[in-house]
Amino acid sequence: MDLSYFLVLSALLFATGAIGVLVRRSPLVILLCLELMLNAGNLALLTFSRSLADQQGQVLALVVMVVAACEVVVGLGLIVAAYRRKLPLNVDEFRTLRG
Amino acid sequence: MTFNQPTIDYAGLSPLIALVATLCVVIIASIIPRVGRFSVALLTLIGFATTAGLTIWQWGASENLVSNALRIDDIGSMAILIALLAAAGTVLLSLREPAAYTAGHGAYYALLIGSVMGMVVLAQSINLISFFVGLELLSIPLYVLCGAAVRRKESLESGLKYLIVGSLGSATLLYGFALIYGATGSTNFGVIAEELTSAQLASDTLVLAGVAMAVVGIAFKLSLAPFHQWAPDVYEGAPTPITAFMAVATKAVVFVAFARLLEQGLGELSGIWSDALAVLAVISIVIGNVGAIGQRSIKRLLGYSGIAQGGYILVGLVVVSTEGAGAMIFYLAVYALANLAVFAPLVARERESGFGDDVNGIAGIGRTRPWLAWPMTIGVLSMIGLPGTAGFIGKLFLIQAAVDGDYTWLAVVVVIGTVVSLGYYLRLLSAIWMEPQPDAPNTQSPMPVIAGGAPEADASAGGREEVPPGSSRCVLVVGTGVICAAATVLLGIYPEQLIQWATEAGEAITRAVGL
Repeated sequence: MDLSYFLVLSALLFATGAIGVLVRRSPLVILLCLELMLNAGNLALLTFSRSLADQQGQVLALVVMVVAACEVVVGLGLIVAAYRRKLPLNVDEFRTLRG
Repeated sequence: MTFNQPTIDYAGLSPLIALVATLCVVIIASIIPRVGRFSVALLTLIGFATTAGLTIWQWGASENLVSNALRIDDIGSMAILIALLAAAGTVLLSLREPAAYTAGHGAYYALLIGSVMGMVVLAQSINLISFFVGLELLSIPLYVLCGAAVRRKESLESGLKYLIVGSLGSATLLYGFALIYGATGSTNFGVIAEELTSAQLASDTLVLAGVAMAVVGIAFKLSLAPFHQWAPDVYEGAPTPITAFMAVATKAVVFVAFARLLEQGLGELSGIWSDALAVLAVISIVIGNVGAIGQRSIKRLLGYSGIAQGGYILVGLVVVSTEGAGAMIFYLAVYALANLAVFAPLVARERESGFGDDVNGIAGIGRTRPWLAWPMTIGVLSMIGLPGTAGFIGKLFLIQAAVDGDYTWLAVVVVIGTVVSLGYYLRLLSAIWMEPQPDAPNTQSPMPVIAGGAPEADASAGGREEVPPGSSRCVLVVGTGVICAAATVLLGIYPEQLIQWATEAGEAITRAVGL
């Protein structure tokens, strides 16, 4: 099967994630979009790994999964902390720091 | 099927092993009831000193470790030493930091050690996989540390902002790595360099797109303009010792790793990326210096000035030469000292003045607190690059490297940027020495609730965590500033030894990494 389909799909996923990070307002959805971007990278890595018959790409993809989990843990922790401080969960309202 | 055990060079890995051991000891010690915060900080400092000692012991080595994932050489060791210096300074500045009380001293220092571990991996990595692991191990504890002062909403906001922008950078970097891997068929810098030469991939779309995305991802981490918007916000919101750590250590290590990736891995394409980096350097110098003018928050001002300094340092990479790499590492070292000399008095004033990090907080301290005023003055003068301070020698080298590398126009931009930067650096000095000390504002506001904690915990913790103010209690903070300022002046007068180390480090980067 032609591997370029997978690459196109991964590029589309990456673009979807990037657009989501830029336009969505909820930090939760932004975290989801970041995951989408990382997984688009994973898909590209696996595709190349398959076409090159080489294992290094798969190793990197495994590492990325762990990293993505860590980022979500930290992100959700911060969001919960912000929620308990009754801060608005909207990135447009995060403007105590600006200028 | 046989299993071949890879050869592991334990001597080369010893700095990393020492850090892992320190991390375990600190976590265990912090849960023992009678161990106080001083003991935890002391253990952390001993761990950093051991790591620094082992790194110096390995000085001059030049070999690959762990199946070509890491490489021990002088430029990596130099970056690790700068990171350890910054981390040790951060520990000293953090002893009375409210964020460390809120998070718990054990957790706070453990996260700091985790971040330093990431820096060691990143500074030595010659493989896309270890590069990514190191970068994330460096970043993720920093996201937590930025948000560690959960009582202040600025801290939470800065943590979340840093997390989102940092992850965006990581995802872009990863996609770039995937494309480079797909085009060259390997994650090892040595193999990538060989493939680029032998397979004539210099104009391959996949490679070029990959390099572009990787550069963008790293530019996010280095807060180079136009990928810098997060930096002033995060610098302002994060606990001040953590801001100092980010400004110094992250910059040094990521720049060295960036140099490794570009020169040892993608050296074949240097004609393409050096022009792109030159543009990034110019934009950073302009935006950083213009943005810093008119800032009232000193941390924010230093955030913008850090963007401009990043632009100066990038010049060392643009010229693609031994000299440029040496100038880069020299500047990173003196920038680290100058920054710590500025941040230490800032931490002290933040606790005693009641103005936070506003310029008013340092107004008039020249008369009342000379031990704080002098380190800050020397640090600022070194950032400007005044003769007599180490910053002057650093800038001289960068400009010399730029001129020798046929980038004279870039050297001119650096000089113009320095002139513009006087506009805000001198304002700090005039506040210190020429303005009268304003009356302290009334800051007896009730302590905000702990975000993420139960209301009962807030009630029981209320007041107990008050940090005792007063000048006599921050000997360590003042000491850190004085030592860094003294080193800045000393290196400005006798720079020979550091120049030699930086030159050795610069030569290390141009050596091929081998397969």
